[in-house]
Amino acid sequence: MSARIAEGAVRRPAAAVRMSPGVARLLIIAGLIIFWEVSVRLWGDPLFLAPPSQVVVSLYEFIWNPQVLNALRTTLYELVVAFALAVAIGLPLGLILGLQRFAYGSFYPIVLLLYATPQATILPLVILAFGIGTESKIAFGFTHSIFPIVVNVVAGVQGLKPSLIVAARSMGANRRQILTNVVIPHMIPSFFTGMRIGMTGDLLGVLLAELYVSQAGVGHYTRLFTESFEPQRLFALIACLAAIAVFLNESCRRAERRMSRWHD
Amino acid sequence: MSIGELSKSGRHPPDARGSAAITVTGVSQVYGAEGDPRRVVALDRASLEVARGELLCLIGPSGCGKSTLLNVIGGLASPSEGEVTIDGEKVAAPLPKKVAYVFQESALFPWRTVIDNVKLGMAFQGVARGERDSRAHEALVAVGLAEFADHYPGQLSGGMKQRAQLARALGLKTDILLMDEPFASLDEQTRMVLGEDLSELLARTGKTIVFVTHSLIEAVFLADRVAVFSARPGRIKEVIAVEEGHPRSRSFMTSDKLGRLRNRLYELLHDEIRKTMGERAP
Amino acid sequence: MSGGNPWLYRGVQVLFVAALLGLWYYVSANGIVSPILLPSMTASFAEFGHLLSTGSYWPDLDVTLYEFVCAFLLAASAGCSLGYIVSRSGFSIRVFDPLFAGLYSIPAILLFPLYVLFFGLGAGSKIAIGTTIAFFPIVLNTIAGFAYVEKAYITAARSMGASELQMFWSVMLPAAFPVVLTGLRIGFIVAFLSILGSETIASLAGLGHRIVTYAESMDPAKMFAYIFFAIIIAFLLNGGVSTLEKRVRRWQA
Repeated sequence: MSARIAEGAVRRPAAAVRMSPGVARLLIIAGLIIFWEVSVRLWGDPLFLAPPSQVVVSLYEFIWNPQVLNALRTTLYELVVAFALAVAIGLPLGLILGLQRFAYGSFYPIVLLLYATPQATILPLVILAFGIGTESKIAFGFTHSIFPIVVNVVAGVQGLKPSLIVAARSMGANRRQILTNVVIPHMIPSFFTGMRIGMTGDLLGVLLAELYVSQAGVGHYTRLFTESFEPQRLFALIACLAAIAVFLNESCRRAERRMSRWHD
Repeated sequence: MSIGELSKSGRHPPDARGSAAITVTGVSQVYGAEGDPRRVVALDRASLEVARGELLCLIGPSGCGKSTLLNVIGGLASPSEGEVTIDGEKVAAPLPKKVAYVFQESALFPWRTVIDNVKLGMAFQGVARGERDSRAHEALVAVGLAEFADHYPGQLSGGMKQRAQLARALGLKTDILLMDEPFASLDEQTRMVLGEDLSELLARTGKTIVFVTHSLIEAVFLADRVAVFSARPGRIKEVIAVEEGHPRSRSFMTSDKLGRLRNRLYELLHDEIRKTMGERAP
Repeated sequence: MSGGNPWLYRGVQVLFVAALLGLWYYVSANGIVSPILLPSMTASFAEFGHLLSTGSYWPDLDVTLYEFVCAFLLAASAGCSLGYIVSRSGFSIRVFDPLFAGLYSIPAILLFPLYVLFFGLGAGSKIAIGTTIAFFPIVLNTIAGFAYVEKAYITAARSMGASELQMFWSVMLPAAFPVVLTGLRIGFIVAFLSILGSETIASLAGLGHRIVTYAESMDPAKMFAYIFFAIIIAFLLNGGVSTLEKRVRRWQA
């Protein structure tokens, strides 16, 4: 594929590029960090910008700061609980909607309609309903992650080729056996895709809720660091959250890839 | 020569004294350096001449380099060794005014209508805007697609798409036509009909054609000569002359002569095909 | 899943919605749920009607739309140009595509507090976050669109003598267009949603902010009215861009 791109897209002779793309990427990132450091020190206003060296120092300080650590732990807790709920409810719901014709015809369009509504508009409502503690964050993360899971499970079930069911039935399988041995294994890759997308939604939902109002969670500290003009601590906190996000997203992506190996 | 101009009396087998339109001398195509375990010799010192007005078929097992040779002839690829000359000039890049291609998969642009596709080819070649319309119409009439001029490729069947590609190539009014398995993605029945049409059309226009195919019958039916390739590294094993006038008729398709030539090709190719398949076994 | 009676399903859906509305009415009329959380249905619809008829939504809609359009245009120009430039060589694709894809996996909303710190509570921070979030689907799709142009088209055009300019305008651009358009559609929607969301979090004006003010001032009927309104605007924009995409696709056949 790379030969196809290079030959097709560019007609000038290929330069003897011996650097691997990974190395080039690292060099670019390193270059950007150096640029960041130098430009902020020279021209940046310390009220608004912090160089990476100071950010690293703040990161280190966080280790000794039990409140910030607790806030991060709480956020992780909110993320995991919301996601677990979404999977626990989303998977059976998706199976029912996918397999049961009446349920699919009547209620699936409603599910899709709800999926399409901009949930940012109901954030204040969710907070009013669930309070300013962890419950509202979990609720908002839940509503963001359940829909991709349901939709993908339904798609996985629907995508089953009828010829597979016919084959199973011809070998004498009953309904339960078909369900457990044909339908469910076939739906697993889509389910994991749904979970990957759901995790992205979960992160979005929980973080939005945290940033909106937070007593002792990360949102509280982002607000604190913003209002007291401490960009290095703000950057550091964001970096931690980003790391958590990348870790969760990457785990879901790997799980999805492992489970989809048999798929085309 | 315009498409309508030529007499319908057909062409005779090309003159042995006729000057060569295309000369291929010792062309090799090698991927990878000496000593590289993944080194592939796609083509090994291929040499041949294509006379003006001749239809030469290249046939061989998969991976034998016939498409590679076609691309080298047309200037789309440069050889590791050897050279190709067209009308005495060395080929180093595509020659849109001398060589037109018809490709295997539909290389028609799906976002343009059939007639726009034909006109776009001329725009690339550098034909004046005013001329393009009339030439495009001529070309579509020649391939029998005049009513489909304003259709999109997506609305056409496989056979029609290849006719449209042919129209695009004809519109360029080149002396040479290079065809890379143009009928490969079509079903056998369509192939037979298109083969007959192609033979008839090309008898009228007298172009020099190099035609790559996998089909033994197609090769014998269409060609003046057939160059048979060996398995990789691709070498030209033998060149067989068909010696039959154009356009080829339906009776030729069912004749003993075609059967004998086809059998000869089969004998030559059978072992090469086996060798190619053996390569792939684990 | 095929089969089944579509009228039956439609009937069930209508019944379902009616039942929900009925439940809402009953619950709020009998004070089962606190009126601060769930206002009476009639009051909400009344406020919504009032909102539409007086057009009092304009100042906030104005702000939101302004931020949205700026963000989308910035993201589209940056994304398309950068995406095209990256797609020009296989090496740069291998370097930058994973970089952008990796950055895309970080929830960009995290940058919002930084933008608030830097740009304040005004439109600037919202435009910044909208641009950032919309940039990624656009650039990734643009790279993909131009990089994976069917090789057969390029070879055919080369064989016919196309110049670099002709290759770009007549082959690459139309071939890449459907994928790029999809990226633009995603960016469009995502820009709007992120602006709504960020207005909710920290803003002085805009639809998202208005919903928050009514939530905080314990005026739930007005809050519901604005929520309906914002949802309708979102659906209109969504529908508009989807229809546009479908119509353009039809021309492309």
